Amino acid sequence: MEHTSLLERILRGIALTLVVVFFMFPIVWILMMSFQTNETILRIPPQLVFKPTLANYTALITGKLTTAAGTLDIAFMRNLWNSVFLSVTSVAVALLLGVPAAYAFARHKFRGSEDIAFTLLSFRFAPALLVLLPLTLYFQKLGLANTYIGLIWVYQLICLPLILWIVRGYFEDIPADIEYAYRIAGHSWFATFRKIALPLAGPGIAAAGLLAFIFAWNNFIFALVLASADKQPVTVGALAFITSSGIQYGQISAAIVLSITPTLALALYAQRYLVEGLSLGAVKG
Amino acid sequence: MASLELRNVVKRYKSQTVLDNLSLSVADGETLVLFGPSGAGKTVLLRLVAGVIDPDEGKIFIGGEDMTDLDAEFRGVGMAFQNFALFPHMTAFDNIATPLQAKRSSQGAMKAGVESVAKLLKIGHVLSHKPRALSNGQKQRTALARALVGSPPVLLLDDPLRNVDAKLRFEMRLELPRLLADRGATVVYVTQDYKEAMALGDRIAVMSQGVIKQLGTPEQIYREPANIEIARLFGDPTINLLDVKPSRDAKGIYVGLSNVQVHLTGAYDATVGRDCVIGLRPEALRFVDEGTPAAIPVTVEAETPLNEKIVTLVRTVRGREILVSRPAGTPGQTEGRANIAVDGKSALLFDRASGDRIGSKNVVNLRSGEAA
Amino acid sequence: MSQSALTISGVDKFYGPIDRGVHAVQNLTMEIDKGEIVALLGSSGCGKTSTLRMIAGFEEVSRGTISVAGRKVHALPPVKRNVAMAFEGYSLYPPLTVRENIAFALKAARLPKSQVDAKVASIAKLLEIEDILERYPSSISGGQQQRASLGRALIREADLHLLDEPMGQLEPQLRAVLRGRIKHFIKERGLTAILVTHDQTEANALADRIAVMEGGVLQQFDTPDMLKQRPANLFTGTFVGEPPMNVFEAYVGTAADKINLRLPDGLSLDYDKDAFSGSVRDELLKRERVVIGIRPYAVRRSKDGVPATVSANQWLGDQTHIAADFAGGSLVLVEHDRTRLELGAPINISIDPKNLHVFDQSSGMAISHGMELA
Repeated sequence: MEHTSLLERILRGIALTLVVVFFMFPIVWILMMSFQTNETILRIPPQLVFKPTLANYTALITGKLTTAAGTLDIAFMRNLWNSVFLSVTSVAVALLLGVPAAYAFARHKFRGSEDIAFTLLSFRFAPALLVLLPLTLYFQKLGLANTYIGLIWVYQLICLPLILWIVRGYFEDIPADIEYAYRIAGHSWFATFRKIALPLAGPGIAAAGLLAFIFAWNNFIFALVLASADKQPVTVGALAFITSSGIQYGQISAAIVLSITPTLALALYAQRYLVEGLSLGAVKG
Repeated sequence: MASLELRNVVKRYKSQTVLDNLSLSVADGETLVLFGPSGAGKTVLLRLVAGVIDPDEGKIFIGGEDMTDLDAEFRGVGMAFQNFALFPHMTAFDNIATPLQAKRSSQGAMKAGVESVAKLLKIGHVLSHKPRALSNGQKQRTALARALVGSPPVLLLDDPLRNVDAKLRFEMRLELPRLLADRGATVVYVTQDYKEAMALGDRIAVMSQGVIKQLGTPEQIYREPANIEIARLFGDPTINLLDVKPSRDAKGIYVGLSNVQVHLTGAYDATVGRDCVIGLRPEALRFVDEGTPAAIPVTVEAETPLNEKIVTLVRTVRGREILVSRPAGTPGQTEGRANIAVDGKSALLFDRASGDRIGSKNVVNLRSGEAA
Repeated sequence: MSQSALTISGVDKFYGPIDRGVHAVQNLTMEIDKGEIVALLGSSGCGKTSTLRMIAGFEEVSRGTISVAGRKVHALPPVKRNVAMAFEGYSLYPPLTVRENIAFALKAARLPKSQVDAKVASIAKLLEIEDILERYPSSISGGQQQRASLGRALIREADLHLLDEPMGQLEPQLRAVLRGRIKHFIKERGLTAILVTHDQTEANALADRIAVMEGGVLQQFDTPDMLKQRPANLFTGTFVGEPPMNVFEAYVGTAADKINLRLPDGLSLDYDKDAFSGSVRDELLKRERVVIGIRPYAVRRSKDGVPATVSANQWLGDQTHIAADFAGGSLVLVEHDRTRLELGAPINISIDPKNLHVFDQSSGMAISHGMELA
């Protein structure tokens, strides 16, 4: 069984290549488009060989978009900054609230704890559009519409349930005996939480944080409705490339490349850390 | 140094009662073994004493002080867990040092304390390793060191040898009494292995379904088990149990085993005509020559050596199976027909309906120091 | 006299490429007679399970041959080997009741129903599973599953019965009597059985001969008595025997008509030269250092012995285990009576030369057992 023939190895290679091509194609294609002008992109048939140009990136970074109809101001860099700020802050707030809550749900089975936990999760089930209409009205009354605080608050609908449920699972996986042992050694419950539970659930917290970050980063609908141009993240900002003189495929591609780069980098970095952290298994014999 | 007392403790999980109005006191410096099958409530009892779970009713005293409402960190007990419960992200040294850290010991005192207990447990050379780099035996010793390091007056050991192999278990079983005696701690030791229970306990509490069924010295439990269930739990090979109906003749009370009358020593007058079960320890039976008075004819089915003993499975003419055990190297029958003799003094008699032992006062009592 | 039930000759097992992969079983040769019960004993990773799987046909033989009842089988698929097996993980068929599981092979062999029923009833009685015959594997305990799995293997008529850790999960109260019954069952029918176990109690109880394995190498293949009396090397010496053999390093010296085995702490075991045969004496005196071994039950207490201090005294109902501080280490004694000795009590140890095992200090090979050369 362990001896694989040459044919087997070749077939396996081909199968793997097909899978990789299938999954990587859109990303590679977008990357290629980001280095082309709209004219070369729209050429029929499409061509793999082209003269690369940095014009799209220049336009994004300088904020000046030259189209057939004239020069447009675009706020892409501003949008990118908004995305970073909104996502990071939302995840930070969600971690601050969600991790202790997850610990409470994992360790203390109080009356109604399951119901509360489930209610929090159910926020993810509600169609965003349904929530948005009343929310917009409330936010306008409260003066939260078009503020970072308001947006971060709404983003908790995305981040908090994710973090709560994932981290709770990790806390539950820590054998209670390990925490008991630390308590019995003479440490308070808070010290136990800090010194034992947090480090042991660390990989899980990181995974949850990362996932929440990606979801927050990719969110479109909340920001579309609740934020004006200067508070918009890239997802909404990309709409600006649909101009009166046509869709700016080159710039959109460049924008996508720039906007997925941070999440991609983060995921790649964290992947190694996650795998390593998950195999802590020295708990049992 | 401190005594330990549980008074009318009740613990329920949902509708299930795990500990049912349990009272128990352990004297200062005593080692009490909690013995019983899994699910008997032994671990729950330890956790109640440690303070990591709370009783629904009842009180817990350590050193005469009511600890019932005190959190675990203030009770000053040491505990070792069956699954070791080492902190995977800390080195063995840091693991062991946690109780000293909690006491805010100085760096020097901590180092000295950890190193001395590590030396005692022979793990001085692995202190810088994380748990995953330790062998099972080393993990178990680290866990024990962590429980011992703060010299707690009460030590709770939850089946600490269960997850190590037979050789390490044996080695540790012989090492433990001295370790515990040196500390002078009051010990509650949980186990499912009757040999550990007998070897380590000053007294043994046999638990089942949240209740202590019998509490006594190893001798009492082994020689005067309260009922059939307990008699079966202690001893390897297991005690032989045969249905009998005692009768009386001029020489006293006897039971019929394969048409042979075996006279019993003891006040069994009330058992005449009752449905009983006789319990015969395999080591209390021996092979005898044909013609010996009260010898029971049997056929040898198989001989299965057990450590330094030879265990023989024999079948009586009525088809009942009996296990006979003898020290290796002593003469015995290995196949074919044989005769065995029953020592009427060491036989135990149980009521068949209730399973309770009959005549508690009359069994040979060996507490006073004579050899068996 | 008897025909060979299993012949393993020159068998190697490599995981990965031959000669470069992990060498799990190394040049194994053994012969098992018909009607024998043999145990493969060793700790995990010693190669015993690989060996069993090669016999059963679940694992390819990298090199060498295996014959069952005179038939070369190592290239045949498992089903053609006529070998019955009880698996460590029980492997009962979950959709079948215990009865159907046990009867499975008989039904496949198209035995008449009345015969199948009778056989199942008798094996169920033997294993005390009569009351769970109609239950499904998922609803019975581990011990019961193990007994059902044993029943499924033992009921078959096969050239060879392979039992992988057959009794590890059995209820302790049933173990002794089941061991006796199973041994009787196997012997009565003249079956040939190979059991793989890490538990020497089980091996000792059931096996006629035990093959001790370590690191993929067969260390010794002998009867339980011979393994204890004449261990081939220090590994078998300390591995087989419960409690394990006491071992000490000793310096060999000679004075007047005595041979001295000098131990740490200034202690010395002194023997008359005549206590050993001439050849043993020569072998001993050739060496400066040796390892001596003494079985716990062979250690005696006597007034004129070497001093030791009691460190533990544990009565187990039918035996007393005593540990004593002795020669910088710990010495274990087993006595069959109730012995009362306080912790810290001084005792004197004497070791009869006929119970003394001597091993070479560097190779670990046995030099002598009692008066005889190894």
